Amino acid sequence: MFPRWLVPEMASALKRTIEALMERGAVVRNLENLGERSLPYKISKHNQDHRRGGYFLVDFDGPPTIVSTMMDHLGRDVDVIRPTFLKHRVSKTEECSGIIPVNYEDKLYTKKK
Amino acid sequence: MAATLVVSSRVSGRLQQILAAGKSASASCAVLWRRGYSSQQEQVSHKVDLPIEMENPYKEPPKRCVLCGINVDYKNVQLLSQFVSPYTGRIYGRHITGLCGKKQKEISKAIKRAHVIGFMPVVYKDPTFLNDPKICDIRHPE
Repeated sequence: MFPRWLVPEMASALKRTIEALMERGAVVRNLENLGERSLPYKISKHNQDHRRGGYFLVDFDGPPTIVSTMMDHLGRDVDVIRPTFLKHRVSKTEECSGIIPVNYEDKLYTKKK
Repeated sequence: MAATLVVSSRVSGRLQQILAAGKSASASCAVLWRRGYSSQQEQVSHKVDLPIEMENPYKEPPKRCVLCGINVDYKNVQLLSQFVSPYTGRIYGRHITGLCGKKQKEISKAIKRAHVIGFMPVVYKDPTFLNDPKICDIRHPE
């Protein structure tokens, strides 16, 4: 997330982060812009209060050791309000079989083995 | 007297003796006569009359919760806001949302993630989503 800057500033900030990622040996797959909107709550960072920001999503593949160093690096960047790293979970919702009725009687008493 | 009658009924030949001698109620005579009749027949196999075993043909398909088959993502704040109180922003419990175990867990994890990342407001529901279709009804929880 970036605070409200002019578009070239935002572009340069993005470029910096992606270069930093690639320096540490990550392969950047995709960059998505989730739009610029007002933040859900006021965030104060780097002695400033931010109410609007641009949201960006970077898909990359890299070693897990990269996370701590990148968080450090992005924390120091004035243009970045809230850096977050998430695992890219491959979602599979094909096998949802519905609510299976639970037999509560069995669960009430512990089975002594 | 009852005991002797039972013993003698096993042999078919003694039927007429029992009928003649019976001073007891006619109901017991009738029972003995029926019993005697069955022993006259061949040994009927007891398995012919049993019901045919099959899966319940009237079985209903398993109940599905509202999100069965829908992918839950921390990014679609609109979906997540439907399971959150509009006044306090608190996540509704399982007895109100009516979701199955898996989906309830996924939703609550996604909501908490969205709070931290800065996608969704914490203490209130985003005003643009206030007029969404209501899935969770606090007044009539199932």
